[in-house]
Amino acid sequence: MSVSERFAELAQIRDTLGAVEADPSRIVMEKILSPTEARIAGRRTILVGTNNYLGLTFEPEVLDAACAAMREQGSGTTGSRMANGSFAGHAALERDFAEFYGVPSAMIFSTGYQTNLGLLMGILRPGDKVVLDSHSHACIYDGCRISGADFLAFRHNDPEDLRKRLRRMGGAAEGALVIAEGLYSMLGDTAPLAELCAVAKEYGAWFMVDEAHSFGVYGERGLGLCEAAGILDEVDFITGTFSKSLASLGGFFVSRHPEMQLLRYGSRPYIFTASSSPANIAAAHAALGAIRTRPGLKDKLWANANRLHDGLRALGYELASTVSPVIAVRVPSKEGGARLWNDLLEHGVYANLVLPPAAPDSAALLRCSLSAAHSFAQIDAILAAFETVGAGAGADRAACAGAGAR
Amino acid sequence: MSHETRDLEQDILQTLLRRLEQFPNKAGEITAQTDLAADMTIDSVNMMELLMEVEDTYDVSFPLNMMANINTVQDLADQIKKLVEDRP
Repeated sequence: MSVSERFAELAQIRDTLGAVEADPSRIVMEKILSPTEARIAGRRTILVGTNNYLGLTFEPEVLDAACAAMREQGSGTTGSRMANGSFAGHAALERDFAEFYGVPSAMIFSTGYQTNLGLLMGILRPGDKVVLDSHSHACIYDGCRISGADFLAFRHNDPEDLRKRLRRMGGAAEGALVIAEGLYSMLGDTAPLAELCAVAKEYGAWFMVDEAHSFGVYGERGLGLCEAAGILDEVDFITGTFSKSLASLGGFFVSRHPEMQLLRYGSRPYIFTASSSPANIAAAHAALGAIRTRPGLKDKLWANANRLHDGLRALGYELASTVSPVIAVRVPSKEGGARLWNDLLEHGVYANLVLPPAAPDSAALLRCSLSAAHSFAQIDAILAAFETVGAGAGADRAACAGAGAR
Repeated sequence: MSHETRDLEQDILQTLLRRLEQFPNKAGEITAQTDLAADMTIDSVNMMELLMEVEDTYDVSFPLNMMANINTVQDLADQIKKLVEDRP
């Protein structure tokens, strides 16, 4: 394919989004007012599509730490850790992650995407076997693809399907890598991690969990869904991001295997990327401190999630999963989804519009992500907007409120 | 080519053609020579679902990375046949 043909393909994607008025690139937040509000098209808008689960992006301790680090250490590191060396902040944050998880050591990467890419490209070689959940994030697929490993999918959240595929692999299942996520970002459903881990171990496979959306949100201490499932001692690799609950930019990787430190010598996304800036590291470190010392943040997030979930269900919307910090409303058509999304914006609410193939099993999703920083008044305003746009949507609303509502 | 091998090849091809009928295509009738990427509109999720069904129907493992070398419906059928024949 030539570059000009590729441009034509991309233009077609843009035009498809434009035709249903669903192009997210037209959304510009002219002014960020708080973790939960911005001005969009001149209108004060409640944000319910930010992944800012604990609402720490404006927390004074986080901002003060980031500002101080920038003044003391500069605006950037201007190179990779392997070339330029690590700043003390990088090493200190890795020590704290390791201590929090009770593992020998941790590694941090410059983004969450690069964390999964870096781990998978670092540990997999052509011919290695991987079985991943079919709903895995693009960075997991990309990491597998670039590594050259043989990778296949098991049906989403189905331990018996995983078992079938590992059994079919025969002897090659031993030493294979099984990958799942904690909280799935689109539908807001959670993985049966204990069952998946048990199947992986039964066949002698390694088990990796991406906690990008579940770190800080699940588990008594906020370590994620592995903690909640009681498998921290069994899971081999855990990855996560700074760009959700940790209110910054970057990613982390922890493992109970001390050898995983060797990844620093063979992970191209680690070796060849500029390290995280001092401000990013300091913000993530301060947010990590908040997660460890303020369990009330998590409680507030869950209270908000329950309120929105119950309210949307009472309005008759079909929701994609049981309550979680991600609440996705199913809409049967792309056009209907785009119409509701635009109507919500006009009523001062920004959610995420998700279209296929990013919206699995569905024509469209209106995806809401809750924050501990939302007030109950804001949740009620979001519900009022959903009620108003639903009432005006006629057939779309009737289809949303189908027999599948739960 | 034995009857058994020819039957398997035909069975795989017919199964794929039936399954692919549900997706939009620019080529008119779908045949063995239809190009999966250029002539058809199958998003990545649907392609993965199709491959999982293939795996279950023929009891083989079909790594997604194998798709990089597959262009036509016939290429896909040939690869599945090879996996079936190499099955331990």
